[in-house]
Amino acid sequence: MTKEVKGGKWTSDLVLDLYSNLLSMVWEVVSALIGEAILELLFNLSIKKIGEKYSFLKPLKVSEEGVFMDEMREDLRNLPPIELHRGFQSLINHLLNLFSALTEGVISREVFPKVFPKVKEAERLVSQK
Amino acid sequence: MRLIVKNLNILRSIINTINTSFEIKEIVESAGNNLPSLFEFSALGVLWKEESTLYLYQEESCPPSFTKEVAQNMVRVFSVLGEEPNDLARVTLQVEKRKLRPSHMAMDSKATLKSYLVLPLAVEDEIIGCVSLNSDQPNAFDAQDLQFFSVIGYQMAATLKHFQRFSSVKTMAVYDTLTTLYNRRYMEERLIVEAQKSFYSGSSLSLVMIDIDHFKKVNDTFGHTEGDKVLREIASLLKTSVRKKDTVARYGGEEFILILPEAGLEETTMIAERIRRLVESKLFEVGQAHINITVSLGISNFPGHNPKSKEDLVRMADQALYDAKRGGRNRVCLFNPVQK
Repeated sequence: MTKEVKGGKWTSDLVLDLYSNLLSMVWEVVSALIGEAILELLFNLSIKKIGEKYSFLKPLKVSEEGVFMDEMREDLRNLPPIELHRGFQSLINHLLNLFSALTEGVISREVFPKVFPKVKEAERLVSQK
Repeated sequence: MRLIVKNLNILRSIINTINTSFEIKEIVESAGNNLPSLFEFSALGVLWKEESTLYLYQEESCPPSFTKEVAQNMVRVFSVLGEEPNDLARVTLQVEKRKLRPSHMAMDSKATLKSYLVLPLAVEDEIIGCVSLNSDQPNAFDAQDLQFFSVIGYQMAATLKHFQRFSSVKTMAVYDTLTTLYNRRYMEERLIVEAQKSFYSGSSLSLVMIDIDHFKKVNDTFGHTEGDKVLREIASLLKTSVRKKDTVARYGGEEFILILPEAGLEETTMIAERIRRLVESKLFEVGQAHINITVSLGISNFPGHNPKSKEDLVRMADQALYDAKRGGRNRVCLFNPVQK
């Protein structure tokens, strides 16, 4: 997959790859703790809430098998990487807030160390010229 | 490995009990009774949306301030999940206190909520409430606790959803259609649970069997429609004369039964006497007439009468009721072992 476009800027593809992997990883870790059904519900609640501000998130598909963005990918790659990053970052933050509200540190302890470096990486990517 | 197998067996048993429960109170009680074998906690909380009721199943030494903190936290989390209510004032709080831990581990009267796990009770994208484990100890729960708890939470949600869907079937299976009291079948199920609990823990359990005196005469004189009206009025009077944790059921015909958990002989006699006096002093409107009606009541008690089984308890209450009838009616009699 091409990661660069004209002008040497990173494409939105890279940001999408990163967040796709990140969401899959969150799914894998958290579903083992609270089960797929409850996690699906929490993801859908978060998408609904954050989708009010970042409408491109609304088509994210969540089922008991995981989170999928394949179908929306074509539309998303035309969006500015910074916009994608902000939307997905808000989604992840909202999920982490829900996890904390529900279980204090139990889920966060497992997830946060894996999420934090990835979000930092996304920040670095979108700030690169 | 052995510990995991043991925990899985406990988990299986909890799920089985939840599955065979008839109503929310039973689910909460069966979970509350069994969860201490899996987790160290101070209070189990269940917030159920349908009636905006927050059921808190607590260790008996939980101080009121702790109860309030748990309630506030659950309502907060429920509102974070985007569901009403978001205000504690709109929630009916029903607290059940039970002995969940040894006396030497009783909670400090100044204990505060230090850690918790809350999970939404959700089925098919609908949040119908939430369930929580709460502790006065910091970091009381770990990832494995959460794994076990989520299985229980999911099962509770599925059973609650099942209740909502089949509420009419449940109503028929559990309630007596004439009086809206519990029916005999439910009473027998309930007695199994309460007797197991009492025989295991040694806590008191009483039965009161009640029969309307000369009820046949009411039916014969005023007709069955008027007789049914009397049954409904007495049923309503019984419902308002007992404590929240008691079960009132129609045992059959003009007979009723009360299951009184954690009630000793003295307290049971007081409740039974109150009922007798209330019925005696009420004027029942039947047809164009106002008549007085009386009831006879028989009491049995564990451990007071030393029953060996729930069947013994029922038989003893029945025997006491027979004594009340034979003694002239309109009276309360305790089981008398001498006549056994």
